[in-house]
Amino acid sequence: MRFGVGLFSLQNTAMLPAHWAAAYRDMREYAILMEELGYDELWLSEHHFFYDGYCPALLPAAASVLSVTERLRVGTGMLLLPMQDPLRLAAVAQDLTQRSGGRLDLGVGLGYRDIEFDGHGVSRKQRLPRMLAGLEILEAAEGSGGTPIWMGAQLIEPVKRAGLRGHPILFSAALPFERCKTLVKVWEEGWVEGGRPLDAKPALGALRNIWLTEDPKEREAARDWVRASYVQYAGLGWTLPAVGEHEQADFAEETDKAIADTVETTISGSAEECIRQLRELEAIGIHHIAFRLMLDGAPRPALESQIRRLAEHVLPALRDRVVA
Amino acid sequence: MRIGLVLAEGQEARLARAAEAHGLFGVVAGLGNPLTAINAAIYASTATEFVRVVVRVKLGLEHPVTIAEELSILDNVNNGRTIVMVDTGQLDAERAADEIAVLRESLASRPIQHDGPSWKVPAGLPANATAPKSISITPKPAQLDMPFWVTGPAAAEAGVSSGLPAVARKPVQIKQPKLVEPGLATISGKLEPDRELVTAWAAAGVTHLFIDLPAGADLEQTMTLVSRHLAPEVLMPHFPRVMSESRVPLPWPGDGHKK
Repeated sequence: MRFGVGLFSLQNTAMLPAHWAAAYRDMREYAILMEELGYDELWLSEHHFFYDGYCPALLPAAASVLSVTERLRVGTGMLLLPMQDPLRLAAVAQDLTQRSGGRLDLGVGLGYRDIEFDGHGVSRKQRLPRMLAGLEILEAAEGSGGTPIWMGAQLIEPVKRAGLRGHPILFSAALPFERCKTLVKVWEEGWVEGGRPLDAKPALGALRNIWLTEDPKEREAARDWVRASYVQYAGLGWTLPAVGEHEQADFAEETDKAIADTVETTISGSAEECIRQLRELEAIGIHHIAFRLMLDGAPRPALESQIRRLAEHVLPALRDRVVA
Repeated sequence: MRIGLVLAEGQEARLARAAEAHGLFGVVAGLGNPLTAINAAIYASTATEFVRVVVRVKLGLEHPVTIAEELSILDNVNNGRTIVMVDTGQLDAERAADEIAVLRESLASRPIQHDGPSWKVPAGLPANATAPKSISITPKPAQLDMPFWVTGPAAAEAGVSSGLPAVARKPVQIKQPKLVEPGLATISGKLEPDRELVTAWAAAGVTHLFIDLPAGADLEQTMTLVSRHLAPEVLMPHFPRVMSESRVPLPWPGDGHKK
């Protein structure tokens, strides 16, 4: 398995104020630490026009990390493709891929907020055709030795589309384990429908809320930081629609319930418990785990401690089950 | 006049470090491929602490709000050291001025509501029903007001209409010099002609001259020429050349002290 940390969104929030320049400096320092500790990946996240400066331009942010590291991969999770000119994006990504020795993973998603489309002069109705047209350009670049493409999706159709097109997915941390299991099967159906053998599939990924601790007070605090980190989705107006037997999570309208349900996805406890739950994900075909640690309210000493703790007590146990 | 360095494509980090080590005030990134200029500026930024980072931004290649967002990230990565060198590219002066206005309004510390000849921001498209009539581009830059300079075919006209300095390519006497008058030149790597060159630029009224190093030049040797001879020459009137031509102080031989 491969391990990363995310989602770096470089915010200055009402609950955890920070100078933006300090947030970008801190990210570079976290990246250097992660590289030293043996992590594989750092994941970034994008939104636009939000009060807290949620990172709106992932490739410059990725460049800042790639320029100070030597081994760590940097992924965009997810870059909102319909809002960009895909030809320029492909050129910028290709340049970063070359500069970094091939360490950029280009995760792309649709976006969902009207304001973000309107601010970039794009009709939200055009987001799917623009996404598909953009993917064709990025895929052509990927096919000629360019940047690997990942996709972000939570629903049947887009997950299957990702499988059909042969792109790995990074699942949201808000998806409970059973829903991930359902969607992995959907993705695999798409992969096979695309005429590919199942044993040649790429490793899939998932963000996971996790906090390694056996201290009940620290566990309580960590779960509260997870809660606080999902309050922003109420502010952003995100809804996770129903899929099959899995319920919708409407962060905008049913805020408390959606947040409480999502906090329950948190893996927390001893190293053995964390490893057990991560092995469950490995068993369903998820081999990239991005620890979702950049939580609203979590101070830097706590985050650094957790990054070190997971590296020391969890990574070694799962690294012996390496999947390329 | 102060001297800065043009960064060759793909060598931004190394050259920016050299510029900073030699006491130059700034560097220019992105004069090569305009699509990847911001990547180049980021690499120059994380390699340095103090130099100003000028980034060439060619207009007409992407929505200006997207470019403004990228510039703001750059400015936070380098903690307020960014200067934008807008290249008017294929745009005429009116369209260039409108795009420059969107960029600057986007980076200002109030929401943007722009309706110009080329751009309307936010667009107010019917399909984006819940979008408000103004937006705030965040994060804001680290610095109070990001400096903009103009270059390219429509630079003179767009510069006048935007009130921004145009980047000079020749040392032509500036009649009404602004506080900042940037220029771009290539040096030869030879002391006398380069002294004459920078002196001519200073006499013309240019305040910040970015020099391109000659192809194939030895970096350390040429940077020493710049920092020991050219930069001091134009930092004060009547520079006493004895300061740069006297014998170089001996290096420290190492700690040979015996206790």
